[in-house]
Amino acid sequence: MYVDREWVQHRMAEYEVGKEKKRPVIEFLAKLFGHKGAVFGAAIIILFVFTAAFAPWLAPYEYDKPDISAVLQPPSAEHLFGTDEFGRDILSRIVYGARISLNVSLVAVGISLVVGTVLGALAGYYGGVVDYIVTSITDIAWAFPTTLLAIAFIAALGTGIENVVIAIALASWAGYCRVVRGQFLSLREREYIQAARILGMSDGRIIFRHMLPNAVAPVIVMATLELPKAIVIEASLSFLGLGAKPPAPSWGVILDSGKGLIGQAPWISFFPGLMIMLIVLGFNLFGDALRDVLDPNT
Amino acid sequence: MLKYVVKRIVLMIPVLIFMTVVVFSIFYFAPGDPVSRIAGPNVTVEVYESIKRKYGLDQPYIVQYWRFMKSVIEGDLGVSILQERPVIEMIKERLPVTLEIGLLGFLITFAIAIPAGVIAAVKKNTFIDYLCMSSTLLGIAIPTFWFGMLLMYFFAYKLRWFPISGYGTIKHLILPSFAIGLTNAAITARMVRSSMLEVLKQDYVRTARSKGLLEKVIIYRHALKNAMIPIITLMGLRLGWIIGGSVALEIIFSIPGIGRLMVDSILARDYPVVQGAMLVLTSSIILANILADVLYAVVDPRIRYG
Repeated sequence: MYVDREWVQHRMAEYEVGKEKKRPVIEFLAKLFGHKGAVFGAAIIILFVFTAAFAPWLAPYEYDKPDISAVLQPPSAEHLFGTDEFGRDILSRIVYGARISLNVSLVAVGISLVVGTVLGALAGYYGGVVDYIVTSITDIAWAFPTTLLAIAFIAALGTGIENVVIAIALASWAGYCRVVRGQFLSLREREYIQAARILGMSDGRIIFRHMLPNAVAPVIVMATLELPKAIVIEASLSFLGLGAKPPAPSWGVILDSGKGLIGQAPWISFFPGLMIMLIVLGFNLFGDALRDVLDPNT
Repeated sequence: MLKYVVKRIVLMIPVLIFMTVVVFSIFYFAPGDPVSRIAGPNVTVEVYESIKRKYGLDQPYIVQYWRFMKSVIEGDLGVSILQERPVIEMIKERLPVTLEIGLLGFLITFAIAIPAGVIAAVKKNTFIDYLCMSSTLLGIAIPTFWFGMLLMYFFAYKLRWFPISGYGTIKHLILPSFAIGLTNAAITARMVRSSMLEVLKQDYVRTARSKGLLEKVIIYRHALKNAMIPIITLMGLRLGWIIGGSVALEIIFSIPGIGRLMVDSILARDYPVVQGAMLVLTSSIILANILADVLYAVVDPRIRYG
């Protein structure tokens, strides 16, 4: 078959130019930060990231130091969020707890994103048997509710914060896989991908250089919206005694320690829950805004 | 229609079989020695070997899976290590409790989400719409179990309207059901709103308006009925979320449901119970999703699946 290499390369170059023209970074950022939800959400996220990063400087007390003279004190000037049954400062525990929440959710979402994206890319690119196998597994993983699946993995792996990361990752990759597969199915038929094939590019190069960048937008949106879910699952598992163990200052652990004291010391459970709500709200607002801006249909 | 229902049920069989493989494999490949899990760490070699044989743990994977599958089909989910009772019996005691909370939770969801979503859609871009939509943003962000604790603090400790915890009367169920129903209502109200907005744009709504029908009749008789169709599928999908959420609530309110059973069994390393509870829960969720799909086809005459 005669292939006009020049024509093909010309089409590829045209595509590369078109790609840049369509989505310049500046225009994207301007649009994103013109969005009220994005700004508000980003502000909340930055606040928590800052808190986690500078925890040792921000926390007024040591998070794990008991103080018998200050047991179960309600919020006051010395202890803004009060103290728990060991006299530990709730605010300090929450500040350090932000590290656990963010670390766990970032690593878990990162793993599930990579696993889901690679599987989805393979299924969408190769089709056939590979697609059939991956799709069947994905559909089944998708049918399990994330929290229950994570609990099941914890049951098998054993409790502990590392296993929570693995459990959340294993329970939530299916969404990425579905999205990336769908994107790849439609990208595969595009002219520039056909052109890349005719040029004799390797599958790896086509997938990673030319297809993945075009499928990345919905994956990023999804990851932003999966982060808060991971935070809530970590907190729930730690609350149930299946995740981080006391005295670790996981928000779920603090909530659990206040569970039996709601009548006498409601502040122990009130503040960590409020923090979970705030950070989830932040990620949701930012993720929704990101979707609005990245999705040309809206 | 019948053809579609049959097809859907047939397609479900491999999913269910695969699910049993997953649930079985999770526990098969779990790190740690399954025999010591049952027997504890300090046993003599003879006891160890006899337990290994008793539970068939000396057999290869396929044989073990086959035995597991066979007993599951016969309705035998094994025996609890801790309580030495059939797992199926324990699940039969606990599952209805969780279903009660879930059902009441769904009722509360509908009672709140449908009016809120409809009003927000009808009064689009007004103060009421913004109020509804910003409360749903908060509702989605609230962790269900924390919300349960807040309800417990205000309505049980402060106002003393409800018992603090326990199980027995309808009053015991109200707070946990509200915790789950209200948080679920947030996402549902958003769906109702967008579905309703979609329907209100349709030609038949305009026709109804031009016939001079009362706005109330148009909204509740014509639009809402059609707007509810996609909500049915959503509710099927939400069942898993409801059950997942009720696990922590059962712990907070000391309710003897299946979620509590599962967590207690994980902490006590009573694996047959965990496995059995997982199987029952996931298969009921898969069944509920299929039921929702079928119902979707039944209520929407426009959908004709081949």
